[in-house]
Amino acid sequence: MRIDAGTVRKIAALARLRVAPEDEERYVRELQEILTYVEQLQALDVEGIEPTSTVVAGEPVPLRPDEEISSDVRDEALAAAPDREEDYFRVPRVV
Amino acid sequence: MSASVHKETAEDLARSVRDGSRSASEIARAFLERTGRTSDRLGTYLHLDPESILAAATAVDDRRKSGEPLGPLAGVPVAIKDNICIRGVPTTCGSRILEAYRPPYDAHVITRLRQAGAILFGKTNCDEFAMGSSNENSAYKPVRNPWDPERVPGGSSGGSAATVAAREAPLALGSDTGGSVRQPAAFCGVVGLKPTYGSVSRYGLVAFASSLDQIGPLARSARDAALLFDSIVGRDPRDMTSRPEAKGVDLEELERGVKGIRIGIPGQFLGEGLDPEIRACLDQVRDGLAREGATELDVALPHARYAIATYYLIAPAEASSNLARYDGVRYGLRAGNGDLRGMYETTRGLGFGREVKRRILLGTYALSAGYYDAYYLRAQKVRTLIRRDFTEAFGKADVLLLPVTPTPPFRLGEKTEDPLAMYLNDIYSIPASLAGVPALSFPAGFTKSGLPIGLQLVGKPVDETTLLRVARAWEKASDAARRAPALAEAAA
Repeated sequence: MRIDAGTVRKIAALARLRVAPEDEERYVRELQEILTYVEQLQALDVEGIEPTSTVVAGEPVPLRPDEEISSDVRDEALAAAPDREEDYFRVPRVV
Repeated sequence: MSASVHKETAEDLARSVRDGSRSASEIARAFLERTGRTSDRLGTYLHLDPESILAAATAVDDRRKSGEPLGPLAGVPVAIKDNICIRGVPTTCGSRILEAYRPPYDAHVITRLRQAGAILFGKTNCDEFAMGSSNENSAYKPVRNPWDPERVPGGSSGGSAATVAAREAPLALGSDTGGSVRQPAAFCGVVGLKPTYGSVSRYGLVAFASSLDQIGPLARSARDAALLFDSIVGRDPRDMTSRPEAKGVDLEELERGVKGIRIGIPGQFLGEGLDPEIRACLDQVRDGLAREGATELDVALPHARYAIATYYLIAPAEASSNLARYDGVRYGLRAGNGDLRGMYETTRGLGFGREVKRRILLGTYALSAGYYDAYYLRAQKVRTLIRRDFTEAFGKADVLLLPVTPTPPFRLGEKTEDPLAMYLNDIYSIPASLAGVPALSFPAGFTKSGLPIGLQLVGKPVDETTLLRVARAWEKASDAARRAPALAEAAA
């Protein structure tokens, strides 16, 4: 798979990540090198092999009892906000 | 008396606090004093607050005076990797994007440590969001290896490994996704345990790659590592991967020796690229354990050579998803004027360092439309093949012995310009991570130039005991775990 500056710009946009224009070439080179390395997986026959998404085996994890618990951390959580107004997180205007 | 405190085991320190021969305050002062002498040079801490440490120690002493029961870690300082949340204490993950963040809650392991009477001893430096193998990816400062400050301590839990090696703290917690506890433990000459996936709750551990992340202890001995592991292991309903069958370790079990234990060595996997001194050390440990009564056999891990390629698709994919939460809205850094999208992009562009960005880009690519099947799904299937190799190997062997790293600690700056070379360093640690089985790094010997060599033991699920038992046997048979870095001796 060939990576170019356009690919880097496209995936950076998908990831909502600003990449400085002067860094683009570097990421092209590095991603190309890593993706070339991982190409070796294409040589393996994985026909009929189930994918592993979790290694937790055995009995399903039991559900916790459906009990009411208090988690009153609203003020503390809001205190960490970069910008807020009353009990809301404030963000740049979207409409 | 306080001059010798740093030489004591955590086990002895806790015992002395319980029987009243030492106070927790005296211990805390002694370690703070030692840390003050070396931590600036080593870069081990991102946050250390003597006042709160001394207050916590006084509280333990007060409990003893009033006759309350004291826990297994009473008065023992435990350093905490900076990606584990402590309520009200800065938790940056080594990143600018969380520079001012103070979590409103304790991680499960922190709650457990408080219950055990431990003294939370500062937040240790680490690679940004636990991504790295040298600790050079910390946004704040690198960590240096106590055995040779021109060399890296390993990563990403480099601060936790270095602080224990330098006798600044008797115990530390790290986190291990592809080797981030074991590799720095090996480079710094301490014990580092990556427990079975699901044994320790990750509630309050800042997520990197959720199908792999696990919290683990670092200590100077197998018994101390077991003591810390025992204090944090167990089911927690707040982590859906937490295993009901997870269990702790009985310290007396560790003294049973290795007679009859079947040690498997994946000879073919060791192959080329392994430093000859590490290879020689492995042979020496193998022969030494055989003399103690262990039996040795060859095992095959035919798919382990694909582990790095598998890992560098799965882990960045999961990271790109996990790190989507850093958007400048609810906590952490916010930057940029203009619209919402511009704010997201500027915040993340400024807040994340180069390695984190590289992995987000790689993961986003691997998950993007048209590539998912070829990359992420295929990697998950190869992961199944790697897991099967271990299941098969454990049909014959009780424990596997292999290196942790292909080379001794390298120099700062040596690999920073070549990400793939840095990744290849993880070849021996990643397979156990992908399989979810427990793995331990223990001090095995030294190079001729005096750098520590760690070797790795890999075990069956929830059988941390056998790993610690074999490591304990080697501690008794050799002096590898008894040497201290010159820098720590000089500070004494």
